[in-house]
Amino acid sequence: MGAAAAVLLASQPAAAAPSGYAKPQRILSMNLCADMLLLELVPKPRIAAVTYLAHDGAEALFPGADAGIAINHGTAEDIINLKPDLILAGAFSTPLTRRLAKAIGAPIVEVPDATSFDDIRRNLHQVGAAVGEPARAETLVARMDADLAALAALPARPPVRVIAWSGGDSVPGKETLSGRIIEAAGAVNIAARPGQTYGAIDVEELLAARPDALLYGGGGPLKASVRGEEGQHRVLRRLYAGRRIVYSDIAHTCGLPQSARSALDLRRALDALPEQRVAR
Amino acid sequence: MTPSRWPTAIAFLVLALAVAASLFLGRVNVSPAEVIQGLLSPGASLAGLVVTELRLPRAVLAILVGASLGLSGAVLQGLLRNPLAEPGLLGVSNGAALGAVLSIYFGLSQAFPLATPLLGLVGAVGAGAMTFAFGRGGTLSLILAGSAVSGLALAFLALALNFAPNPYAAYEMNIWMLGTLSEKSWDHILLAAPFIALGLGILATMGRAVDALTLGEVQARSLGIDLDRTRILTLLGVGLSVGAATSVTGSIGFIGLVAPHLVRPFVGHQPGRTLLPSALLGAALLICADIVTRLLTTQNELRLGVVTSLIGAPFFFWLVLRLRKVAP
Repeated sequence: MGAAAAVLLASQPAAAAPSGYAKPQRILSMNLCADMLLLELVPKPRIAAVTYLAHDGAEALFPGADAGIAINHGTAEDIINLKPDLILAGAFSTPLTRRLAKAIGAPIVEVPDATSFDDIRRNLHQVGAAVGEPARAETLVARMDADLAALAALPARPPVRVIAWSGGDSVPGKETLSGRIIEAAGAVNIAARPGQTYGAIDVEELLAARPDALLYGGGGPLKASVRGEEGQHRVLRRLYAGRRIVYSDIAHTCGLPQSARSALDLRRALDALPEQRVAR
Repeated sequence: MTPSRWPTAIAFLVLALAVAASLFLGRVNVSPAEVIQGLLSPGASLAGLVVTELRLPRAVLAILVGASLGLSGAVLQGLLRNPLAEPGLLGVSNGAALGAVLSIYFGLSQAFPLATPLLGLVGAVGAGAMTFAFGRGGTLSLILAGSAVSGLALAFLALALNFAPNPYAAYEMNIWMLGTLSEKSWDHILLAAPFIALGLGILATMGRAVDALTLGEVQARSLGIDLDRTRILTLLGVGLSVGAATSVTGSIGFIGLVAPHLVRPFVGHQPGRTLLPSALLGAALLICADIVTRLLTTQNELRLGVVTSLIGAPFFFWLVLRLRKVAP
């Protein structure tokens, strides 16, 4: 009886999938970055649920885009209740998720983390194909490439030495999307050491490194809180008044078309920095 | 100088050495000459900034917090006549932690920078008031009420972690509770210092009461000690000093337990005379632990509360061994 029910459950979407042009109608995303891609690629009615983290990210990127969409917490119950016909997961979906997905016959697409603009193109194409919106994905890739081209077309400028410091011990290094965005914007991430992803730096070292500007990750879904406070250390507030550039966490954390726009914004902010160097 | 002054003088010397060391040691190599130069002219030089805006406030805060913990521990061990008494016993530490964690939970610290220590203070005062309300009338009821309030605060801490708005917030709450002095500025000191000073002032007057209490509660009363008043003042003093300290730095364990024990053999086991040396030694211990966190270069910052626990927990074993030797 149980086996028969499982077969019944499995047979229904499986029959729809191979036909090629039938687009998934109940897409479930179980990863914040996949949420953002999904909200951009697919019309709302075809999204079964996004994660509970999606709201703040959506507010930062495209306000209102997630209104009325159900949320999930990545549990087994979510998968069973929502009966998705496609599951988007992060790079590390759990064995349970895979087993359940198999049981209900929904294909599972694992979206890897993006640490470069190439990764973003790859993810957009991959997710676009999976959700049945390759053309829309192509448009987004084109938009991103246009932003990158606009950035490349700007006149070269003397490099600005920066650290993306939001307090605490997680400074993005070279092998991160943040690092790539900073590089693309024409700044030098002086916290970057070869091969390093995230590193630690304390205020003393920060002062000694004498960056020309501080990048401050705020206003994203992963709201820094204590770090927010530490990022406000008064010596930095005083020294770097007018030299702190706020960026949105989400475009630095997730590989999105907006990541290129973020690089462009950063370049403009760098151009707007006051002339003199940090007083010493 | 009478012999009884020696422990205080030595503790003071240790503290002075620790403070001096903490000004000269850090992640960035600043030469001793530059440190002194920076102290004399706190201008725009790197050394000046590092010394006056980073290392000095850190040392001052360590003194305030360490003294609060050491003195509170000494008074509580005297008042409760129990070698295991420590400042967290009355629930104020966990109350402060709860207040601070709630400020992270509701994103208040995002809205304005000093929300975390402020709410920590509110939590400490609230917890102290609860302990007082339920624990009036006896030493045992005070301890029980303190444990109950502690347990309740821990339960709510667990609840906040459980329902953390996102994994990152949960991580931050956890990390906050490990305690740290890094990235603290004069702003934090201005906020906490008045409360800590008031609390320390109250606790410093308890010497005679804890001395009398070594004879037992009835005898202490016959010597003119008002026990209710003593308990209230202790609670107030511990609540203000340790509560304010915890709300700024996070939970830091073992200093309050260890400092009085280290001092005791040198003052002839007279509780009243452990107070000042305990405060000084508590401050010195905390500064030394903080220096350790600075000098060990680790991928993630080694938190102060972790260091004090790693050093303090083995001390428990020593305490057990000693008790076995002393007791028949």
